[in-house]
Amino acid sequence: MRSRDGNHTFSLRLCSVILFNSLALNASEFLISYSYIVKDATLYNETIQISKAMKKCSGTPQKSFIFDTNGEKDLKKIISKNNEDFINYIHGLGLHIIHNDKTKNLQHSSFTKLTLKTTCFKVDFNDNFAKIAPLK
Amino acid sequence: MKYSLILVALLGFSASAAMATEVKQEAPEPTNITVVCPTGSCEKAPVVQKVEVINPIELAKVEEPKPQTQKEDVLDENQDIIISVVGQGVAPMNTSSPAQAYALAKRAAVADAYRLIAEKVKGVRIDGQDLIKNMMVKRSTVRTSVKAMVRNANIVETTFKEGLCEVEMEIILSHSDFAQ
Repeated sequence: MRSRDGNHTFSLRLCSVILFNSLALNASEFLISYSYIVKDATLYNETIQISKAMKKCSGTPQKSFIFDTNGEKDLKKIISKNNEDFINYIHGLGLHIIHNDKTKNLQHSSFTKLTLKTTCFKVDFNDNFAKIAPLK
Repeated sequence: MKYSLILVALLGFSASAAMATEVKQEAPEPTNITVVCPTGSCEKAPVVQKVEVINPIELAKVEEPKPQTQKEDVLDENQDIIISVVGQGVAPMNTSSPAQAYALAKRAAVADAYRLIAEKVKGVRIDGQDLIKNMMVKRSTVRTSVKAMVRNANIVETTFKEGLCEVEMEIILSHSDFAQ
C-alpha cells in the first residue's frame, strides 16, 4: 500500500542496500604476518609482511582497530604511518614466543623470536578511517 | 667390749644407710635428679633439678618446625591472578638517533617481558650437559627453552636510562580464559 508521503519503506530499503553494498565493495581481506628477533637483549630484525588475500577468508571479525587514513587506500602506507599503534595492537592479539638460552663455559647467549602467524584481516576502508579486524 | 658394740652399731648404721642409697639409685624418679650429700655436711640444701627425659626413638620422631613456604597461587573461579614482570633490552650500538635507540631497546625489552611471562605461566625446559675428561670439566653447557603463546599482556610502565630500557608488563589470568 502506498503511503501519503510516498513509498518511504521502499526508498529506505533501497538506500540501505546501496549503503551495505558500497561498504562490502570497499571491504577487503589482507594476510598479515609479523615477527621480530632479539639476540642477547638487542633487537636483531623486525619484519611485517602484508599481502592482499587471493582467496576469500573464512571466519568472523574479532577485536578491531581503527586507523586514521585521510583518504589513503593503500594498507601498507596506512600501516607505515601508524606503525607503533598497529604493532601494539598486534601484540594485543597474541604472539608466539620461541626463546632459547645457552650458557656454555659460563658464557651466556640468548635468542628470542616473537611471531604473529599469518592471519587474515578484514579491512574496511572509509573516507577518513579504516577498520581492521582479524578473521577467526 | 663396749668399743666392739659401738663398732658393730656403727657398721650396722652405715650398712643401712648404704642400702637406702642403693634403693634410691635403683628406682630414681624418671624426671628428677636427686643430689645426695654423702657425708651429710652440705652447707646448702640439696637442689632438685627437673630434667625432661626423652626416649631417643621419640626424639627421632619429633619433627623440626618447617619454614613456612609461600602458598602457591591457584587459578580460582572467583579470583584472577595478576602476573607482573620487568623485561630489559638494550639499544644497538649503531643507531642514528636517540629516538631510534629508544624504539629498538623498547622492542627488545618487550620481547624479554613476553618471555618472562611465558616462563612464569608455562614453565621452562632445561637441558644440561657436562663433559668431564681426566677428572676435569672440559665443557659445561646449560640450555633453556620456552615455547608459548601470550595474549592480552599490557605494558604498565616503560623506563629508558643509559641505553637500557625496562618494560614492566602484566597479564591478568582468569579462570574463564582456560575453561573449556
